[in-house]
Amino acid sequence: MERATLSKEEVRELFREYRAAEDPEAQAKFRGQLVNQHIGLVEFLARRFRNRGELLEDLIQVGTIGLLKAIERFDLDREVEFSTYATPTIVGELKRHFRDKGWAVRVPRRLQELHLKLTNVVGHLGQELGRSPTIAEIAQATGETEEAVLEGLEIAQAYNFTSIDAPIDGDSGGTTTFADQLGADDEHLENLEYRASLAPEMAKLPERERRILYLRFFKGLTQSEIADKLGISQMHVSRLLNRTLVQLRRALEEE
Amino acid sequence: METVSLSIPAGPEHLRLVRLVAAGLASRLQFTIDDIEDLKIGVDELCAYLTGSQGREGTLEIAFGVGDDHLEISGSGRFQPGDKIRTQLTELSRMILDTVADEAVLEQNDGVPRFFLSKRRASEKTIDL
Repeated sequence: MERATLSKEEVRELFREYRAAEDPEAQAKFRGQLVNQHIGLVEFLARRFRNRGELLEDLIQVGTIGLLKAIERFDLDREVEFSTYATPTIVGELKRHFRDKGWAVRVPRRLQELHLKLTNVVGHLGQELGRSPTIAEIAQATGETEEAVLEGLEIAQAYNFTSIDAPIDGDSGGTTTFADQLGADDEHLENLEYRASLAPEMAKLPERERRILYLRFFKGLTQSEIADKLGISQMHVSRLLNRTLVQLRRALEEE
Repeated sequence: METVSLSIPAGPEHLRLVRLVAAGLASRLQFTIDDIEDLKIGVDELCAYLTGSQGREGTLEIAFGVGDDHLEISGSGRFQPGDKIRTQLTELSRMILDTVADEAVLEQNDGVPRFFLSKRRASEKTIDL
């Protein structure tokens, strides 16, 4: 979806079309356009929270939920501009996220910062080296000890992102929706659906988690390669993968 | 081969230590972060069979053998007699372990559940990158 900036009046027109739309497909289309139109605002607001120990990509997802709420609630009869109306809702969603769903366990601020630093450095080093970096290389690049790096990687698993990692409905995903990432080589995904018979729980996973699982264990891509492919950090892939595996194990155990 | 041993209560909350030790030793062998993450997943997958998601009464004994370019991790569970432990890997576990480790075994001898996992430095995948 292109992101031409619309004038205030055009935004209002888009809202009118959205409200008037009756079938779900048209609604999704207009909603997607409204999200697209304001994703810049979400990014801007999310960036204000970025130094609190969470990844920007995650914060943007949270902010997008706020944006969706604002889109649903916006009253066209009011004179206020949508972006003005949406801002407190988006900020509210971000604040609530930090209040409710921040770190699953209390993680010292230093470790939170370390985690963020590692996320960036691992990505950069990987590009630079053309391969996944070693701990020693990460330590050198960050100026941390190897022990601190190892601890920092482990801390990644302390996040509790269950709600925001869940897909937002339809194609309202904002910057890049997951569907955008589907490449031709993934057409064998049905294969996974078939294989899912070996773990019915797999079929219940959100699309992104299932895809990461598929790419890692069925296609043999490394975490770094998956990160590149999906446009998220390796640490994020690691976190999603680990959490998914824990869920699957639990589900299998309960059978 | 040098060996490092660890004995922990058989609860999932202690597996973090097993992962950390594995990662620390792998780091000394110059494993890349991708390989270390794989190693941790493999260790988790096998240990999870021993602890279950709720944990058990008893201990987990883990031994880390440090080779020149690979790690050999073996573990066993010391539980109450009569504790039923599944030592048959699910198909999914098998697939996960085949991906992340060079060798992975889960078995039961004389009522003691054990696992063995080995992983070599730098999977081909990583070099090819």
